[in-house]
Amino acid sequence: MSLDFSDTHFRHRRTVTGNPKVCTGCRTCELICTLSHEGAIHPARSRIYIKANPLKGSFVPIVCHQCSDVPCYSACPESAIVIERDFGTVLISEDKCTGCRACEEACPFGAIRFNEEKGKAIKCDFCHGRPECVMWCPVNALGITKFGERE
Amino acid sequence: MKIEYGWTGRLLRIDLTERQWSVESSQKYVERFIGGIGIGLLIFLEEVRPDIGALDPANKLIFAPGPLTGTLAPASGRFEIISKSPSTYPMETVTRSGMGGFWGPELKYAGYDALIVEGKADGWVNLWIHNDKIMFLEAEEYAGEDTYSTQTRLRKELGPEAKILCIGPAGENLSRLAAILSETSFASGKSGFGAVMGSKNLKAIAVRGTQRLRIFDPEGLVKISREIRRLSSKDPMRNWTSRTFIDGERQKEFLNKYREKNTSCFACPVACLAYLKVPDSGESQSHCLNYYYYPMATEFYGHTINRDQAVSDSYVLANRLGLDTLNIAGMVKFLKDLYEKGRMILDDDLPLDKVGSREFIQKLLHMIATRKGIGNLLAEGAARAADHIKDGWESCSRYFPAYGSAEHESVRKYLGVALLWALDSRDPVVDHHQYVHLSIKYQQFYTDPFKLSNEHARRISAKVFGSEKAIDHSSFEFKPEAVIYAQNRSAVINILVLCDWIYPVIQSQVTEDRSGDTSFESQLLSAVTGHSFTEEELNQVGERVWNLARVIMVQEGRTREKDTLHDSYFTDRDGEKAIPKSEFEQAKTKYYDLRGWDQDRGWPTVRKLTELGLSDLADKIQQPKLGPLND
Repeated sequence: MSLDFSDTHFRHRRTVTGNPKVCTGCRTCELICTLSHEGAIHPARSRIYIKANPLKGSFVPIVCHQCSDVPCYSACPESAIVIERDFGTVLISEDKCTGCRACEEACPFGAIRFNEEKGKAIKCDFCHGRPECVMWCPVNALGITKFGERE
Repeated sequence: MKIEYGWTGRLLRIDLTERQWSVESSQKYVERFIGGIGIGLLIFLEEVRPDIGALDPANKLIFAPGPLTGTLAPASGRFEIISKSPSTYPMETVTRSGMGGFWGPELKYAGYDALIVEGKADGWVNLWIHNDKIMFLEAEEYAGEDTYSTQTRLRKELGPEAKILCIGPAGENLSRLAAILSETSFASGKSGFGAVMGSKNLKAIAVRGTQRLRIFDPEGLVKISREIRRLSSKDPMRNWTSRTFIDGERQKEFLNKYREKNTSCFACPVACLAYLKVPDSGESQSHCLNYYYYPMATEFYGHTINRDQAVSDSYVLANRLGLDTLNIAGMVKFLKDLYEKGRMILDDDLPLDKVGSREFIQKLLHMIATRKGIGNLLAEGAARAADHIKDGWESCSRYFPAYGSAEHESVRKYLGVALLWALDSRDPVVDHHQYVHLSIKYQQFYTDPFKLSNEHARRISAKVFGSEKAIDHSSFEFKPEAVIYAQNRSAVINILVLCDWIYPVIQSQVTEDRSGDTSFESQLLSAVTGHSFTEEELNQVGERVWNLARVIMVQEGRTREKDTLHDSYFTDRDGEKAIPKSEFEQAKTKYYDLRGWDQDRGWPTVRKLTELGLSDLADKIQQPKLGPLND
């Protein structure tokens, strides 16, 4: 799999970033994410989730970084991972995904999850430019980071 | 009624004696009573004899979230625990005690509308509920562990995603002040249910749920939730930042110094919690009450050596040992008074001359949790302890108005609150916050974090409760009406289950006239479940649940005479005015009348029950004559 480094992805990608210092661990992001993607409340299928150790007061939002070196892209044997043009979002094509879970393993952040029912990998799709989790976070622990300017 | 959305439609029943479990339909429970305390109380009415003791294996422990628990609805992380309480006084009676945090939603995601725990295990067990997989795990090694280390070990054993409820040494030793805890400080403290869990040899309940919760109208839910968040966006407790209530400056200083970060319950926009780390003491999540109970009880930092550590110990240790902080606050005041009046002598193990110090609170908490020495008596709770101390009630009655619960807001000053107390089975303030807040605001109590003028408060009172008089506590005028509304609305909150800090949204700091919208609960319920409820219909369900609770009280021997406060509240004391007895009784008569209850006995009438769709309960409206307890 060869990567074209002149691709838009590397010039102006956008990602959701979480600030663990601010995150209160309320999990509203998981709820709105699944409500908008799955039409139901289903935190186990959320594309963003809170890794919590409440006994230490630690709450870390885990979400796709839309990495520049795209390890999931490189790991996918089916070319099911594509990079969207507008925001440089790394997307999984549901048609092509065979559920081998190689991307899940390759992700250094644990941001790719698995839908057992469908047998497909799922990940943050940046809500096509308007991430719901960012808009709903009650304490602004989630934000959008831009890399480079759009042309 | 079809149960497709919001509810899971299933109840999980655990028999600890036989180590068996079963799943049944929740249909008949949610049809009439929605969820939460509605499910719990109905199970008690149908399945538990009124003369069963709180610590008897035949007592049941019911954990009940509601249809809104775990949804996007703001502040929907709560669930209710219903059981016969070891802390209610003079009798052990069925009551409720809720908890925030994350455990309730997880139970919903595991696929259950409620969990019923019955019987008694023959040795310490932990219960592990992973969706449809139920396991009884041996827990002999966990005995004696505090709540933090119990959870740390269980997280290692079961995975960090497991949400855990557990008891500490206090619950194991059947202290009547024992709480059930989750994480560092989410607690069901009010009713001593930690001891019930301990009596069943159940150390912890861990849950992991990965299932889908279906929502009838996701867009509607999103829209309503957004509006509720907007209205509560300036709540004075938001992120625990504003100066609130008591001792504002000291509290602010303490928070600024030790706040690690803000934390929150599930899906809550207010997030009244902070994670505090005090060097040389410990760390815990805390909120206003948890933090200030000890300085408040000892009149604001009696001792200055290691003052912050003393404050920190008071809640960190209580959390670790699994004790209810509010009743400990009452206990501290009670002991201080006993000592000052010479009714209790200095015990080597309990330095009563050092109330306010770090040493005192450490020793007191350990004693109550382990029942060592005089702790064995104190672990019975202040009210039961007072029975065994000469003139003990002279001290106890100052801080415990009724039912063995410590005073929370001034009962003498707020006559409506006095009526609430008399007609409940435990401290009512903790789930009637909105009514109490509006009253306190109106009386200009200490500071005014709500920034609400009297004019606004009066207008809101007229709009919500039906009269400006509802929050004017100089007389009992319109108090019965206000109390009935507050109780029915509190029952609505406790069946859905939502947090009473926000709901009903009767006031807001962002609207022009400062009023909120009391129809949010019914809007949310309709959007989530697909069964449409108007505000009035839901209020009627609240009334139905309150009548159900009253039927259980009647079976336990509750009569009009018992709906009262300790006698001393009807006489002047230390410059505090008495509650006028005859007017109090008149208000009660009015209350029973408006409730459609029998005025002489305070019992629901058959006519009222039939009107509420509870005709099947009519034959239960009596105190049953019970045979010997060995069926």
